[in-house]
Amino acid sequence: MASDVILVLVIGAALAFDFTNGFHDTANVVATSISTGAARPQVAIAAASLLNFAGAFISISVAATVANDVVDAAAITPTIVFAGLIGAIAWNLVTWYFGLPSSSSHALIGGVVGSAVAADGFQVVIAEGLLGKVLVPALVAPLLAFVAAGVSIGLAYRVIGRQRPGIVSRGFKYGQVLSGGMLALAHGTNDAQKTMGVITLALIANGSLGAGSEPPLWVIVASAVAIAAGTYSGGWRIIKTTGTRIIKMDAAQGFTSQGAGAAVILTSTHFGFPLSTTHVINGGVMGAGAAKRLSAVRWGVAGNIVVAWVLTLPAAALIGAVAYGVTSVFGSGAVGPVVVTAASLAAIGAAFVRRAQRGAPVTVQSG
Amino acid sequence: MIGVLGIAEIVEVKELAQTVVFAFVAGVGVTLIFSLAIWGAARFVDLSQEDRPVAAGAAAGAAGLALLALAAVVVIGVIVMTSK
Repeated sequence: MASDVILVLVIGAALAFDFTNGFHDTANVVATSISTGAARPQVAIAAASLLNFAGAFISISVAATVANDVVDAAAITPTIVFAGLIGAIAWNLVTWYFGLPSSSSHALIGGVVGSAVAADGFQVVIAEGLLGKVLVPALVAPLLAFVAAGVSIGLAYRVIGRQRPGIVSRGFKYGQVLSGGMLALAHGTNDAQKTMGVITLALIANGSLGAGSEPPLWVIVASAVAIAAGTYSGGWRIIKTTGTRIIKMDAAQGFTSQGAGAAVILTSTHFGFPLSTTHVINGGVMGAGAAKRLSAVRWGVAGNIVVAWVLTLPAAALIGAVAYGVTSVFGSGAVGPVVVTAASLAAIGAAFVRRAQRGAPVTVQSG
Repeated sequence: MIGVLGIAEIVEVKELAQTVVFAFVAGVGVTLIFSLAIWGAARFVDLSQEDRPVAAGAAAGAAGLALLALAAVVVIGVIVMTSK
C-alpha cells in the first residue's frame, strides 16, 4: 500500500516536472520568433505546444541517462526519484520566477544526484558519467552555439547585406516558422522522454512493470499532454529574457539563433552528445548579437543567465538532498513523500499568491 | 584527482571533436543556405523589375536550389530525431 502511494506521488511529481519543463523551455522555441514579429505570441506558443505534443510520440526509446549514467542504478528507489523531482521542480520554478533560462535536464540530473547522495553517500555518483555526459557538454554547448550563430550571422549579413530590407526581413521571418517548428519538435522528442523514462523506472522499481519494459501508452500520452500543456501556458518571464533582454534582435539574428541552434542540437544528437536546448539557444542569441556588435549584448543579463547555468546542478542537488532528508525523517513509508508534496504545493501556492499581489505577470507586450 | 588525460579518456575526445565540427558546419550551413535562398528571391524581384528575364530566372533558380537543399536538411533532421 505504502509503495503504491509513493508510486502515485512519483508519477504526479514527474508529470508536474514535465509541465514546468514545458513552460520553462517554451522560451527556447518561441522567444526569438515573437520578438522579431515572425509569429504572434499566442500562435507561436500554440504551435510550439502542438509540436511538443507530437515530438513526444516520435521516439519512445526510454532515455534513462539519469538512472544509468550519473548515479548507480541499483541505488535508485522511488523515494530518491521523488525527492530528485522535487529538487528539479523547485529549481525550475525559482529560475522561472527570476526570468532566467536554465536547463531543465540539468535540474533533473542535479535533483536525482542530490537525493541519491543524501540516501547512500557519494559512492553512488558515477563521476565519469557526470563529467562526460553532463558537465563537459554543458561547457561546450553554449560556446559552440555562440560561435556557430556568430559566424552564421556574419555570413548572412554578407550574403543579403545589399538586398532590400523588406524582402530580407520577410524571408527570415518565414524561415523562423520552420526553424522554430524544428526546435519545438526536437524539444518534445528530447524532454518528454525524460519524464517517460522516470515514470517507467518508478513502475519497474515498484514491480508494476517487468525489467526492461518500454513505457506503456498511458505514460507516453500523459507525458505528451503534460509537456504540451506546460508549453501552452507559456513562461512569459523567460520568453522576455531570451527574446528581448539579451539583445534587441532583427529577423536574421532570430533565424540564425534558431536555425543554427536546431542544427547544432540535431547534429549533436546524431553523434550521441545530448546538449541542453536552453544553453544552445541562449548561447546562439548571444553569439548572433555579439557578432553584429559586442555592445549589442547586455552582458549583465547574459552573466545572470550563466550564473543560473552554473548553479543549476548544485542548487537542484541541494534541494533534492533536503527533500530526501525530510522524507526520511518520517521513515521509509509514504508519510514523508506525502508531507513533502503537501509542503511543496503550499510553497508553490504561496509564491503564486505573492507574485499575483505584486502585479500582473510579465508579458512581452508589456515591455 | 582526474587529470587532463583522465578527462580526455572519460569524454571521448574524438566523438566530441566530431560533434563540434559537424554541428558547427550544420549550424553555419543552414543559415548560409537560407540566406542564399533569400538573396535569390530578392535578386529575382529586382532583376524582374529591371526587365532582365534571363538573370532573374537564374536568381530564381538559385533560390529554388537553396530551398531544396534546406528541405533536404529538414528531412535529415526529422530522420535524426526519429532514429535516435
